[in-house]
Amino acid sequence: MPQLRKDPIIGRWVIIATERAKRPDNFKQKAEIFTERPCPFCEGKENLTPPEIFSYRPPHSAPNNAGWQLRVVPSIAPVLRIEGELDRHGQGVYDLMSGIGAHEIIIETPRHIANIADLPAEDISRTIFCYIERIKDLEKDQRFKYVLIFKNYGLAAGGGHVRHTRSQLIATPVTPKRVKEKLVGSHKYFEYHERCVFCDMIKQELNQKERLILDIDGFIAIAPFASRFPFEVTILPKKHSCDITHLTTQERMELAKTLKIVLTKLKVCLDDPPYNYLIHTAPFRRPKPGYWKTIDADFHWHIEISPRLTRVAGFEWGTGFYICPMQPEEAARFLRETNI
Amino acid sequence: MSQLRRDPIVGRWVIVNTEDPKGPNEFEVAKHEFTQEANCPFCAGNEKLTPPEVDAIRTKGTQPDTPGWSVRVVPNKFPALTIEGDLNREGVGIYDMSNGIGAHEVIIENPEHRKTFTDLSAEQIKDVIDTSCRRAISLTGDKRFKYILLFKNYGVDAGASLEHGHAQLIALPMIPKNAHEELNGAHRYFEFHERCIYCDIIRQEKQEKSRIICENESFIAFCPFVSRFPFQVWIIAKTHSPYFCHMSEKEKISLSKILKDVLLRIKVVLNDPSYNFIFHTSPLEIRQAEGFHWYVELMPKLTRVAGFEWGSGFYIVPTDPETAAGYLKQASVTT
Repeated sequence: MPQLRKDPIIGRWVIIATERAKRPDNFKQKAEIFTERPCPFCEGKENLTPPEIFSYRPPHSAPNNAGWQLRVVPSIAPVLRIEGELDRHGQGVYDLMSGIGAHEIIIETPRHIANIADLPAEDISRTIFCYIERIKDLEKDQRFKYVLIFKNYGLAAGGGHVRHTRSQLIATPVTPKRVKEKLVGSHKYFEYHERCVFCDMIKQELNQKERLILDIDGFIAIAPFASRFPFEVTILPKKHSCDITHLTTQERMELAKTLKIVLTKLKVCLDDPPYNYLIHTAPFRRPKPGYWKTIDADFHWHIEISPRLTRVAGFEWGTGFYICPMQPEEAARFLRETNI
Repeated sequence: MSQLRRDPIVGRWVIVNTEDPKGPNEFEVAKHEFTQEANCPFCAGNEKLTPPEVDAIRTKGTQPDTPGWSVRVVPNKFPALTIEGDLNREGVGIYDMSNGIGAHEVIIENPEHRKTFTDLSAEQIKDVIDTSCRRAISLTGDKRFKYILLFKNYGVDAGASLEHGHAQLIALPMIPKNAHEELNGAHRYFEFHERCIYCDIIRQEKQEKSRIICENESFIAFCPFVSRFPFQVWIIAKTHSPYFCHMSEKEKISLSKILKDVLLRIKVVLNDPSYNFIFHTSPLEIRQAEGFHWYVELMPKLTRVAGFEWGSGFYIVPTDPETAAGYLKQASVTT
């Protein structure tokens, strides 16, 4: 009998199909038809990108030249533009505003490597340091309310025809709906229980263990109870914090290690699947009238990782209900048992 | 400069490329190939390969589960939800769950394998709509169900696993999140203005004209101001009603015509893309239904949803709806 499960934070129901037991092999994808384009992200090709915004490079090396370890450049096809004023207005029943924002590409290594899982842990922790630096820097721009950091790996995940590993960030002038839903959901839970829903979830997962994939240092990785997709993974810091920028140096290195292990397990278990990951951290909290004062207590930042193994179809688009053909407990077991 | 547009009903923001819109030939569209003709469970003569039919339009004198039908409804062989049992909700710590009670039916649109939806005559499409309405009304009688969704996946990129033309009907024991958001949004507007927001949208679209594709007696088709996807289309009833399944005979005929017309335009303009269509309707027993207005949402699958969309709920629309409507309006099709 299939099971309906409810996400404890935002209240979304998912259908967990339990009729046909599936194995990771059932989800392995045909190799993508890929037309490799010339890579603008490799060392020596710095002139192919817009001028860098930020980089980690030795003191003597000049910007936009070789010698860097990590580079951040504006997107060549930005979905939002950095210049201009926010102009919000109405048109009959509709609301609109100008497309102001920032869209940056974080090139994680000068080497032409596709999957961040294959980088050494130092490179991944450098990437996490960079995420935090960029969020802090963009917070200074009063027009922005949120910075979403995400990664598209592989064609099916929207990664395009250049394989060089990179993350992206988009700063938006409004708090995105998905983030707001989680903030509202966790606030409601806090009001009722006076506890953080994510902290409660971590406790329950550590207790029950069946959805636990990894528990090292300050982080855990779980297959969420109400997974939307097969082999979906959430990484959470065990210590309560709403904001990824509050991580200590030690914690950033631990996060890098966690991310590397989880992504490597997915790669081995599912034969290098396309995936997205994204960071949900608190929006900027600038004191002003009506400002939401309880976010620090309500919310708990985390990373969502979703391998793209199935296609979203009419039912999901129509209802927001997801049908997950794999039990999260099974997925967690497969990932736990994957040796790397 | 792109534009941020906010959906007046659910409050979702989308980023619309108004500066340099992508043309209809700039999308990667996979070709549809027929590869499942042998032993297709939906073809005439293979009725034994499906569970027993629950409804069909068939010529007089033919037996159920034999050839002679023009539209046939069968339970899904691999249902996402099962029909037998009582709804049983329980909690495990902080988590809530329920057994998967529901109905999952397949509406086989015609007995011929290679006839896609746009190859059907308007009369055949009307038979499909008639049958769907009949099934929806019948499932409404089951008190365990709170919501009924009618939808279609065409093509692999739209999630279709069987290529023989079919629509699907799912009855759910709870109101799904998207429907909930829409009902709430529409209800808030109704409380504030004492008018239906969808009726207001129709009025505004008719005034502005720039997003309208075509219309007939009972329906109007346009690219919504806050499209989530390029070339997305809404087909909405001009007469206010919350429920699709109670359409009048005249409306069913009109809908068949406009559905075929719009889908042909999409096929011609966008090189036969995969698509989904979804009937947005009100749950039957709910007070807020008065502010809701049913419609069909049609989404060609031209882009891939990536990390930004998943993480933010924002959508990036590379072709603004005004440009998209222009292309679809100008397409010459004969229905």
